[in-house]
Amino acid sequence: MERKIVKNERTGEQYTYVKHPTGLDIYIWKMEDYSTTYALFGTKYGSINTKFRTKNEPDFITVPNGIAHYLEHKLFENEDCDVFSLYAKTGASANAYTSFDKTCYLFSCTDNVYESLEILLSFVQDPYFTEETVRKEQGIIGQEIRMYDDNAGWRVFFNMLQGMYYNHPVKIDIAGTVESIAQINADLLYKCYYTFYNLNNMVLSIAGNVDEDKVLELCDRLLKNNDDPELETAFEPEPETVCQSEVTQQLEIAVPMFNIGFKAKPESGIEAVKAEIETNFVLALLADESSEFYKKLYDEGLINSSFSSEVFRGDGYFCSIFGGESREPRLVRDRLIEEINRCKIEGLDEERFNITKKSYYGALIRDFNVAEAIATTMINAGMEKISAFDVIEAVANITFEDVKKRLEAQFNTSNVTISIIEPINSKEEQN
Amino acid sequence: MAVIYNRERIGDGIHFTTLINKRQKTNTILIHLLTPLSYETASVNAIIPYILSGSSRNYPTLTHLNKKLSELYGAVIKGSVLKMGDSQSLYLVAGCINNKYTFDGEQITEEMTRILAECLIDPNASDGKFEEKDFELKKQELLDDIDAEINEKRSYAFKRANMNIFMNEPAAISVKGSRENAEKITSGSAYERYRELLKTAQIEVFFVGAEYSESCVKILSEAFSKIDRNYAGDNHSELSPLKNEVCRVTEVHDVAQTKMVMAFKTDHRNIVSLKLMNAVFGATPISKLFMNVREKLSLCYYCSSGVNEKKGVIYVDSGVEHSNVEKAEAEIINQLNAMKKGDFTDDEMENARLAIVNSWKGVSDGAQPIADWYFNQSYFGGSDSPEEQIEKLMKVTRDNVIEAANSLKLDTVYVLTGKEETE
Repeated sequence: MERKIVKNERTGEQYTYVKHPTGLDIYIWKMEDYSTTYALFGTKYGSINTKFRTKNEPDFITVPNGIAHYLEHKLFENEDCDVFSLYAKTGASANAYTSFDKTCYLFSCTDNVYESLEILLSFVQDPYFTEETVRKEQGIIGQEIRMYDDNAGWRVFFNMLQGMYYNHPVKIDIAGTVESIAQINADLLYKCYYTFYNLNNMVLSIAGNVDEDKVLELCDRLLKNNDDPELETAFEPEPETVCQSEVTQQLEIAVPMFNIGFKAKPESGIEAVKAEIETNFVLALLADESSEFYKKLYDEGLINSSFSSEVFRGDGYFCSIFGGESREPRLVRDRLIEEINRCKIEGLDEERFNITKKSYYGALIRDFNVAEAIATTMINAGMEKISAFDVIEAVANITFEDVKKRLEAQFNTSNVTISIIEPINSKEEQN
Repeated sequence: MAVIYNRERIGDGIHFTTLINKRQKTNTILIHLLTPLSYETASVNAIIPYILSGSSRNYPTLTHLNKKLSELYGAVIKGSVLKMGDSQSLYLVAGCINNKYTFDGEQITEEMTRILAECLIDPNASDGKFEEKDFELKKQELLDDIDAEINEKRSYAFKRANMNIFMNEPAAISVKGSRENAEKITSGSAYERYRELLKTAQIEVFFVGAEYSESCVKILSEAFSKIDRNYAGDNHSELSPLKNEVCRVTEVHDVAQTKMVMAFKTDHRNIVSLKLMNAVFGATPISKLFMNVREKLSLCYYCSSGVNEKKGVIYVDSGVEHSNVEKAEAEIINQLNAMKKGDFTDDEMENARLAIVNSWKGVSDGAQPIADWYFNQSYFGGSDSPEEQIEKLMKVTRDNVIEAANSLKLDTVYVLTGKEETE
């Protein structure tokens, strides 16, 4: 068993990394004097992983959309009870989530940490479903999909992804569609479970006032040995251009909402992390709340304080998104393109670069206050095979040159998709 | 590890609470201006924190202010409004990392406090008016916010339900007021109202950090001493009266999923008993509502209950297929009746108790949660720590829970449903 302390000189913070003999990567960050412990047990398996092969089945297979999320729901059921009722005895608050590229099971608690950890490690390794229990879940997940159909913030984002990507499954809702989940059965769930819920493909991350030795004793007792299936995932080839430059939908909202996305080439590992940080700097310098550009658009009433930007990236996709509310979203897009072209010629503001560096750094330090944020940082790092301090170090060491290069490389103003949700007026009331 | 609590009076109706917690890597300051909710003033009050948090005399635009805050390692100053029963709180919150984490040991906490005080006391205004251009943008934003309430159907349904649950009471008023009143605000009327609130509002200041900061207390005390106070008195809320018959309202919107909010009124004053009863009934994923209405019967995607302790209301918030609305309502009533009859196990009660203890013990770990906790305590004139409330919770008996359940009476059923829902 490999066990090492990873220390960051700059902040004085440290955690322990363990490579368990079962193949699991374990991260433990002791937070003295805190009451809360937050634990995440996750697999590198999200909604986009619909095509894969293993050494046992060397041909790629493609499965219906929505299985990762469906599995998350079903794992919460044991043969004889609901997992929540197990946690009920420890007082822990438990949950799970499925994103594009991972599924995580978590709890947060103040007492009975080891009892809660035992529950977490046990149920995730112990799937149980039958055709009947799988069918029953279709109603609940169908409701969940319908709930998101009404959510304008969710729709504007997915419509943009649908416009941006030709083939990459990131454009499909995480929960799948009512049609795709109808094809899911117990066999498929078991197949995906045994493919992706392999400890070689998983990470355990714990932040809080815990005893490292006790955690590892539990791991030794509860983690099951499994053969590394040499899992490989794949995606259909994705062109560099966007599929559609505009997607619109109407919903019952007040002011039009928009997402404007710039499609860029994806990278992986530490390069992707660097690309994300550098792109975040570009976004801040271009259009954050202290930029001249923001002020101009705000003063003209083209945007309001809901305007923001973010990097969205993962396995096989990378884009920069500007979102908000505007009565003239297409004009916002045109102005953004103009501003990007102007900055490419006239350059970015170096003084603001230095200020942004401090404020980015400050935000990362703030995260070290919160067990949830720390555990999340560690599991993300674990899945990307980087250190949990790589991000803060990259921010502290970034140069103005890096950011200038990124603007050139990552912002192709012809690879833009705008998604707009327009209001419909259809209010009828009956009391 | 417990938080060290200290509350001192620094002016007429102005209190400064310090919450010292060694593990904090940040310093956080919250300033609440509490005032009674009223239909006439809700909108004009609501715009004030947005104006104050975006500029000051020395930093006359958001761009200036944000640039300065970014230099302070991404310090933040935000303003917003929240509803506390029949009261409205206009608040500013500021936060930054501890001085010791800066690259060169800069004294950023004091600087941030000075800027915060300036935003509050010395805004970008002249001739009895807020600066016109900035004001107009903030006003448009307030109007957009009010209009945008319909975007999120769950919270919209909840807001509409509140209007019916608290009919003719201040708590029925939306925290940002009405569009009609928001349209009438001028830079002059907003400024006048702001000056008035500085004089009359109940002001509660909270400082959360790793160590007591003499200089921050001093900066804020000095700022407040410049105000000529005419204190209007402490805020409180009235328990909401039960309607003579159940109020039923259905509204039709363009939605795929129906939302239902049910409200039960109570005059039970043992709040911890009520909270424990609420946890067994519907506030956790092992509660009666979750296990039966959602899991066993698949009637709702979400179905949970919550307490409004200031108004004496327990509400049940659910998302259902239209065809299941009646079944879901009947089942929710059914589960409440089980609570009233004492039809719950000791395990269910102890597990619910444990869940509350778990969440209250965690409150001290976060800056905003602990400040919110004591703000809520101060609203009731109390100062119980989470640990003290846990002690009270531990003493609640099964009979107390049954008694709390029996105090609940159905008052309102609000349904927001889709047009094409005919199945």
